[in-house]
Amino acid sequence: MPKFWRTVYWIYLKDLKEEFRSTDHLLATLVFGTMLVFVFSFALELVEVSTDQVFPAALWVSVFFMAILALQRSFAKEREGGTLDALLVVSRERSVLFYAKFLASFTILLLLEVVVVPLLWILIEVTGPKVNLWLFLASVFLGSWGLAAVGTLLSGITAQLPGARLLFPILAFPILIPLLIGAVLCTQGALLGEVEPVLGWFYLLLIFDLLFTILPLVLFDYVVEG
Amino acid sequence: MKQGLKNPLFWGLSVIMLLNIYLIAFYAPVERTMGVVQKVFYFHVASAWVGLLALTVVFAASIAYLMRRTERANNLALASAEIGTIFISCTLLTGPLWAYPIWNTWWTWDPRLTTTLVLWFMDLAYIALQGGGVSEDRKRLSAVYGIICFVNVPLVFFSTRWWRSIHPVVITSEGMALTPEMKVAMFFSVGVFSLLYLHLLRLRVKSLGLQRRVQQLKAQLFA
Repeated sequence: MPKFWRTVYWIYLKDLKEEFRSTDHLLATLVFGTMLVFVFSFALELVEVSTDQVFPAALWVSVFFMAILALQRSFAKEREGGTLDALLVVSRERSVLFYAKFLASFTILLLLEVVVVPLLWILIEVTGPKVNLWLFLASVFLGSWGLAAVGTLLSGITAQLPGARLLFPILAFPILIPLLIGAVLCTQGALLGEVEPVLGWFYLLLIFDLLFTILPLVLFDYVVEG
Repeated sequence: MKQGLKNPLFWGLSVIMLLNIYLIAFYAPVERTMGVVQKVFYFHVASAWVGLLALTVVFAASIAYLMRRTERANNLALASAEIGTIFISCTLLTGPLWAYPIWNTWWTWDPRLTTTLVLWFMDLAYIALQGGGVSEDRKRLSAVYGIICFVNVPLVFFSTRWWRSIHPVVITSEGMALTPEMKVAMFFSVGVFSLLYLHLLRLRVKSLGLQRRVQQLKAQLFA
């Protein structure tokens, strides 16, 4: 088993290095996320709604779209570079590839959120006397985890089909619905400082994340073959 | 078409479908408060049932495909997803017809409605992924997606159920809120719709098989 995780670690490191050496995609995704946040807060400003009520929805829709852009690349770049076959040689266990890619996508998503989430927070001016910061951070963490897990799995699927780029968001949307509901409601609970009522949602996020972290252990063998 | 008309199953199905409409229209009583509009229920429930059944078949056929890699399993999954989409569309169309007079709204984010809509999107995404392609990659990856979708259904349902519910719950643990005649009509309708599904599934699997055969022959001819 240590060998399994060592291989995961090396591929993970490779992926992060690759992203930071050619910053074009990372930067483009960041700019896209930032723009989404601006567009949201600007549009919401125009209609004069109570803005902190819409914060959870605006946050997760922004993160959702940004994640779609960031996650799709996970396997697509290997396909473009013709390096997928080389990666397959690394280990007989296909799930090694999944876990490495998942961790890399998760890290990148969290890094993007470090910029985008505070920005939205400031622009929408979230002001609550009882904001539960820990629950807020936990829901962002668990939400991103689920996004990264589902995204990596589906990226493995769409990257292997020619001209299937557009399919990625279409495949992801129906799968991510429970995550979206759970994350939005948890975030809302955190802003209102009400932990008890959203505890069920917190567990739902956990179950969703666990399911899509464990499922690839079985399924990923079938995603990348050859 | 001609062959279809000669098929005794087609005629048998036509007769029981007419019987089904008779039961719905005349045998089952008119609901006291909702009136005639409640009759849409028999179609609504039956097509929703078939939608879920179809997704289950997609799931089973996907597993079978990953295990055995037969053309037939893939065709079965694709055909089931296609027919499931049609039936779920029926559910989504008949729902608002009833909801507008009763709830005074066409649509609401109720668990059952949301789940049904998500099922519809899953079916469409699955069909888009199959993309009419013939490559082994597509079939294998579609099968994986078919499994992911099915596994996700309980999560979708429970997440939306906790969230809110105004949908009438007809079947509860204490029994059913229907008169005996209504029950007969409902179960009959569910049965007939399931048979219709099976019939369509058989036809579609056959036609998909023929389609693939034509593609193969063409490829051989021009190779």
